Amino acid sequence: MKKLIFLTLLFASTAFGQIQPEPAGVIQTLPESWPPHWIIVQDGAFFHMNSGKFIVVDADSDDPATRFKGMFNGTFIPQFFQAESRPEMYVTETFYSRGTRGVRTDVLTIWDKQTLSPVAEVVLPPKRASQMPMNYHIQLVDDEKLALVYNFTPATSVSVIDIVNRTFLGEVPTPGCSLVFPMAGRAFASICTDGSMLSVQLDEDGQQASTARTDVFFDANNDPLMEKAAMVDGVAYFPTFLGRMVPVDMRGESLEVGDTWSLLGAGDDGWRPGGLAVTGTDGAGRIYVLMHPDGYEGSHKDPGAEVWVFDPATRQRVDRIALQLPAISIGLTRDDNPLLVATNINLEVDVYDVASGEFQRTLSDIGAETPFLLHGAN
Amino acid sequence: MNWLDKWLDRSVEKTTRGLAQRTSRRGFLGKFAGAVIGGAATVPLLPVARSQEAATPAPLEEGDANSCDYWRYCAIDGFLCGCCGGSMNSCPPGTEMSPITWIGTCENPVDGQNYIISYNDCCGKASCGNCLCQRNEGDRPVYNPRVANDLNWCLGTTSAAYHCSTAIVIGAALDD
Repeated sequence: MKKLIFLTLLFASTAFGQIQPEPAGVIQTLPESWPPHWIIVQDGAFFHMNSGKFIVVDADSDDPATRFKGMFNGTFIPQFFQAESRPEMYVTETFYSRGTRGVRTDVLTIWDKQTLSPVAEVVLPPKRASQMPMNYHIQLVDDEKLALVYNFTPATSVSVIDIVNRTFLGEVPTPGCSLVFPMAGRAFASICTDGSMLSVQLDEDGQQASTARTDVFFDANNDPLMEKAAMVDGVAYFPTFLGRMVPVDMRGESLEVGDTWSLLGAGDDGWRPGGLAVTGTDGAGRIYVLMHPDGYEGSHKDPGAEVWVFDPATRQRVDRIALQLPAISIGLTRDDNPLLVATNINLEVDVYDVASGEFQRTLSDIGAETPFLLHGAN
Repeated sequence: MNWLDKWLDRSVEKTTRGLAQRTSRRGFLGKFAGAVIGGAATVPLLPVARSQEAATPAPLEEGDANSCDYWRYCAIDGFLCGCCGGSMNSCPPGTEMSPITWIGTCENPVDGQNYIISYNDCCGKASCGNCLCQRNEGDRPVYNPRVANDLNWCLGTTSAAYHCSTAIVIGAALDD
């Protein structure tokens, strides 16, 4: 109390200059629609998994201070998805009541793009898959009315959420099949251990209405599909370990497996896809694949030396971007003049201009330790 | 950041020189599909294959068991428990060993034999942070979970918090 009285007297007796005092308590916000070259860096925090981060960065900027636009948290190897029709982002998280021990609670957290604040959450069954960050753990379907979250206990299933009303609807078993790929309407697909895919139609209540399985269409042992598909206009393009591309059309009520084509051309022997985030797409529907030479059994997560760009309509490689450092993950901005961003082997983010193929800058000092995934902002 | 150096070194080694000698081990999954013989698992190994009854001698080994290049770690992805207060086949103090695992098939350079390795995670504490090691021989996508190392295998444990990974020999793999 004496201190308080002293401070009060001190301020009362201090002569302030004749300037307008700055307001305190100002909190910045972001625009509802983000500039096209902003990216979201997903730091999986591999060394302290309870404090993952999603960092919003202007990939056009050379100013280390001002290119950092803000961040939000994700706890215990979170997974991520952005809405297109709402200024919202979704993160699945796992919490223990005592940090690394105690009662487990899994949630789907809804983050607002303008405030970077959590505006709602949906408590999920404590089953969400705890895996390295990867796309297709969360998806939105049915005009973004339903959210789907992949579970692994190791029994596999999908949690169905009414994301508009923030309500958990139920859980759909997906025995032998993993992840969630968006299908048309209230439906999703999963990829299966036996080399087939499962499709699930949901009813109005979000419960399972029907299921179907494709025939076995790939060799899950000797040339498996990478689960890291590129999605273009409702078709999922799966690269395989040995460099084939397998399209699966998800626009209908059932899955249609398309004709396989090779990523490799003349003189490309030994090149294979590889990395953590291996594929990306741009607004023109081109597919980007992280590639490395001299592939061997077990090289499917090795850093890539180049990014190959394909036109899925012609199945031709249309560009080949040499990386200034090998990379483990790639991402694309979603505009007509896209940037390729890549997590290099020093775990910094390199930026390339797609049109010229030229390296532009390295985004270091952005507060990310293990930037496993890079997302172009919607 | 020793692991980053290793990552860089390994990637440079792989992308510039290649590792053609490893290709001789392609098709190991077929070997795994055969019977597993010998060994005595000390923890439940579900849903992966169990060893059969007849015990065989432990494999002779050489090398640094806390080095990422050690033969047992051919399909590991995580922190080596031997650098975390445990060992290649035991957990550090105060952790809990996962009863459910992913497996690899690794060639022991001493006898040239392939062995089935169970990578039981040690759980209940935050990341060890020491001796990160990623090798992917025989690793497959997450839809093939018994041979997928991108999963956190702290399943069936009190806490899913991941600390480190062991590499336990559970048997010798028969050739095709």
